[in-house]
Amino acid sequence: MKMKITLVLLAAGALCAVQQAQAHHAFAAEYDVAKPVTLSGTLTRMEWVNPHGWIYMDTKEPDGTVKHWTVETSGPSQMSRRGLKKTDFVDGMPLQVKGYQGIKDQAHANGRTLVLTDGRSFYIGSVGGPNDGADK
Amino acid sequence: MPSIVPALEWLEGLAWTTAVRESAWGYPILETAHVASIVAFAGLVIMMDLRLVGLAFTYAPMTQIQRRLFPWQMAGLVPSTATGLLLCCIDPLRYYRNVFFWVKLVLFTLAGLNALAFHLKTYRMAERWDEDPHVTATARRAGAVSLVLWSATIISGRLIAYNWFG
Repeated sequence: MKMKITLVLLAAGALCAVQQAQAHHAFAAEYDVAKPVTLSGTLTRMEWVNPHGWIYMDTKEPDGTVKHWTVETSGPSQMSRRGLKKTDFVDGMPLQVKGYQGIKDQAHANGRTLVLTDGRSFYIGSVGGPNDGADK
Repeated sequence: MPSIVPALEWLEGLAWTTAVRESAWGYPILETAHVASIVAFAGLVIMMDLRLVGLAFTYAPMTQIQRRLFPWQMAGLVPSTATGLLLCCIDPLRYYRNVFFWVKLVLFTLAGLNALAFHLKTYRMAERWDEDPHVTATARRAGAVSLVLWSATIISGRLIAYNWFG
């Protein structure tokens, strides 16, 4: 019986260790904290959806080509609490997004800060991102 | 073969699915209810499985444990399945295109079939080994398979959140 209890406790401990290591998996699994990006361009579409929203925007590359970005945001609940509204996003409007680039997809980013043309700035990052002060 | 995609697009475009998908509260509540009922269901199933494999409650009659746990297991399974179906309805294309969603459905079906086979066949002859801490090999195997399949179902369900394969 003691043996069994020990086995069960060991298994539970191993599970907890895995849990700890993956506590911030959501960000690290897809985005590279070593690749911060600042994107200035125009909004092509905004998906104000759960569990995470999506900003689709076009930026001009130095060589003149247009790059189509997909930027992940937090969900409607978190964005609402930061004062953002679905109606703040109008297709074709200029905007600036700061965030981190994706590991695999070069036109994919995790949004941290959104700056609108009227000067208002919002935190659009989700839980588990780097401690870069964007949420302050 | 006609594609299911137009039907899913229609479902996604409905007013109520769109409202929940874009909601500040509806979706978090739905998702929390889904996870909470899964936790209740899985916890109770695990206790039954641990009895079968001989790790827990070994000196209590197997049928008694089954009789006591079963209604509570169903009290977890019904709301977790209902909330799961609702979650599918509000974002059908996302799940349709997610490999982990299909893996989860297959594992869920296998886990269900394992439970069904146990109840319809093995459990029928339970009186013979009811008081025995070591149940028959078939029942022990059913418990072990259940532990693995339900765990894998939950893990693949969690992985739906990651966009690893598009």
